[in-house]
Amino acid sequence: MERSKNRKAEALNKLKKAIGQLREIWQYSDSQPTEITLAAALVLLYPIATFLELGYSPILQLLAPIAGLYQLYCVSGNCLKCRVRASFITFSLYAIAGVMYLYYGLLFKGPSYWGWALLTISSFGSLKRIKKEELHRNNG
Amino acid sequence: MDNTTQIVITAITLLGSAGIWKYAEARLRVKAEIKKEENSASDTVLYRDDLKNRVEEMDKALKEANKELLLLTEKVAKLETENSFLRREIDILKRN
Repeated sequence: MERSKNRKAEALNKLKKAIGQLREIWQYSDSQPTEITLAAALVLLYPIATFLELGYSPILQLLAPIAGLYQLYCVSGNCLKCRVRASFITFSLYAIAGVMYLYYGLLFKGPSYWGWALLTISSFGSLKRIKKEELHRNNG
Repeated sequence: MDNTTQIVITAITLLGSAGIWKYAEARLRVKAEIKKEENSASDTVLYRDDLKNRVEEMDKALKEANKELLLLTEKVAKLETENSFLRREIDILKRN
């Protein structure tokens, strides 16, 4: 009986540690790969998906690839201020897509549409990480 | 898709996301400031700063000591030469 209790406590501790570790990685790890993925999705996936599912929307389908390319340019240039700006634009565009899907009743139509919410959260996380890095560098 | 709806949704979401970001940014700034203050007051940082100052002072002292050592070496060399000349003169005087 006591053995199983110990095992449970051990497993719980391990789980807590793992969650803590994941949280640390989420908050402080390098965000360039995420930025590149988000930017690539903005250039390739975003215009096609919104065109096929929401219809023609010049605001989304023209701005998104430009914003994606701008984000890629900033990541390649390694300029933190530029990356913060580009990440904010990326986050805004994903948020706009999420709200559009929500407005047209598509967001909860199927689990695959939840990806837009995931992309919005991911872009916001990436934006926060870069800002943290900027503040950390400024503070020395 | 209706154009007006698109523009309205885009504008509202843009304003909303800007507001959310402003709030999050302000929170991050406050947290960073608190962390900075905590770090500047912590013992390890004070100790590190003290060590840095001491290293700088010791570096200065070492440079000055090196200069003095060079001067002393020069003087010793001069004195050695003088000494050898004087010894020779003493020898000559003794012989005479």
